[in-house]
Amino acid sequence: MFFSELNQIVKFALQSFFRNIWLSVVTITIVVMALFSISSLSVFNLLTQHVLTVVENKTDVFIDLTKDATATQAQTLVDELQKLPAIKEAQFITPEQTLVNFRERHKDNQVIIQSLNALSENPFRGSIRLNVHNIEDFPIILEELSKKEYADYLQIEDSEFADAKLLISGISDYSKKIQQTGLVISLIFLLIAILVVFNTIQVGIYTHREEIGIMKLVGASNHFVRSPFLIEGAMYSFIGVFILALLIYPLMSVVQPYVDTFFKEYTINLTSLVNQNFIKFFGGQLLVAIVITMISSYLAVRRYIKV
Amino acid sequence: MIELINVSKFYKPNTNALKDVNLNIGAGEFVSIVGQSGTGKTTVIRLIIAEEKPTAGQIIIGGWDITKIHDREIPFLRRQIGVVFQDFKLLPKKTVFENIAFALQTCGVPTVRIRHIVPQVIKIVGLEGKEDRYPFQLSGGEQQRVVIARSLVHKPKLLVADEPTGNLDSINSLEIIDLLKKINELGTTVVLVTHDRDVVNSLKRRVITIDQGQIIGDQSKGRYIL
Repeated sequence: MFFSELNQIVKFALQSFFRNIWLSVVTITIVVMALFSISSLSVFNLLTQHVLTVVENKTDVFIDLTKDATATQAQTLVDELQKLPAIKEAQFITPEQTLVNFRERHKDNQVIIQSLNALSENPFRGSIRLNVHNIEDFPIILEELSKKEYADYLQIEDSEFADAKLLISGISDYSKKIQQTGLVISLIFLLIAILVVFNTIQVGIYTHREEIGIMKLVGASNHFVRSPFLIEGAMYSFIGVFILALLIYPLMSVVQPYVDTFFKEYTINLTSLVNQNFIKFFGGQLLVAIVITMISSYLAVRRYIKV
Repeated sequence: MIELINVSKFYKPNTNALKDVNLNIGAGEFVSIVGQSGTGKTTVIRLIIAEEKPTAGQIIIGGWDITKIHDREIPFLRRQIGVVFQDFKLLPKKTVFENIAFALQTCGVPTVRIRHIVPQVIKIVGLEGKEDRYPFQLSGGEQQRVVIARSLVHKPKLLVADEPTGNLDSINSLEIIDLLKKINELGTTVVLVTHDRDVVNSLKRRVITIDQGQIIGDQSKGRYIL
């Protein structure tokens, strides 16, 4: 009896889908458009996240050492710092390396180079280059460096901390703001998409209102009336996500050159970005679509089922 | 078969559709409920198929008190009562065969059995050869035959017809009434709600007359008296 009923329900859903093909086409189009707007925003969010991660990774902080600090003392400090879980990399830059880097950076500015040549000794001191896993952890590292044991060991100038702190908090705040704005815009888009799909399904089921009444009058139970509409809703979602996948890959190829131009060295391949997040990207959208279409169908049918 | 005990139905704000109605219809009877428009005839039908609940009183169908029927039980009641409507109430996107089969499919009857029962009822109502047509491809009389066929698939003990000839011409009306008589002769109780004087007078069966929500006449071989 159960399988016979299930068979009938699936049959009715398919019949309704194909016999009202234009209504189905319109509903699927709306679902695809709604999913497309969510996808575009999701890709943008993934891209922003990627760029921020790259920027964060490239953000090195240099801590200058005092003039009297020896290479051995500096290397000891580096070894200690590398033991901290928050530190990704710590490297001692000798005064000689700093001088070479400085000359390289300003090789086109003859005034600076000549002034440097006029000096009898290397004006630069050694420094430690720090790269952290998460910029949020930087205050913890700064706190660690402020400990008296290090102060006795090596004299690190306070202004370096302040500059680093400002830079780090600047990037951190910027990153947070971008992510928050992205989230708010995504939620607004999601809400609009939900309302549009909800309304489309409501209108679709409104055209079936007499049919629902007749089904009830000839002895159909509520779940028997409701189930084909729920299955139809799920079908819209599956087909919608499938069409979305067919559309989004070619579109990403078209957009890729513009993304490369805009983000330059920070760019990423959009297709691989989506592929890396395939389950999250398409699975999430399928889940959202199924929930929206099925809830919409359930609520719309409920209105006409009371006969 | 059907028992209405002190049944009243009140609609807000101030309409008394039925007032303290007592009615008893036995098994195998062919009863016409007559009266002018708005007198409460259709309300009786709606109460019998549990489309509505009475404001007061008790309704018993085949020994089953449906006055306080639970929503979940309504489909089971409706599967035991054949109902014929004036406006046909056919599913427009389904063929004749599918419309008739639908009443069986809703109960999870296997396809093999459906394929056995539906042609039988199609034969009873005389619609052989029109199984694959959609309702809009049929005449009014043919559509009403489909409705009657659909109401027969569960072999109901009771058939309720609400103005079944209301949308038909006189020839089609007589054919439908003949079909209802034939169904009655096979043992099904038939309750016919109508305000068609000619139909009632030609039947020469029990006639219950309703006026302003009250029974004002009940004759065993009656005529349309209003």
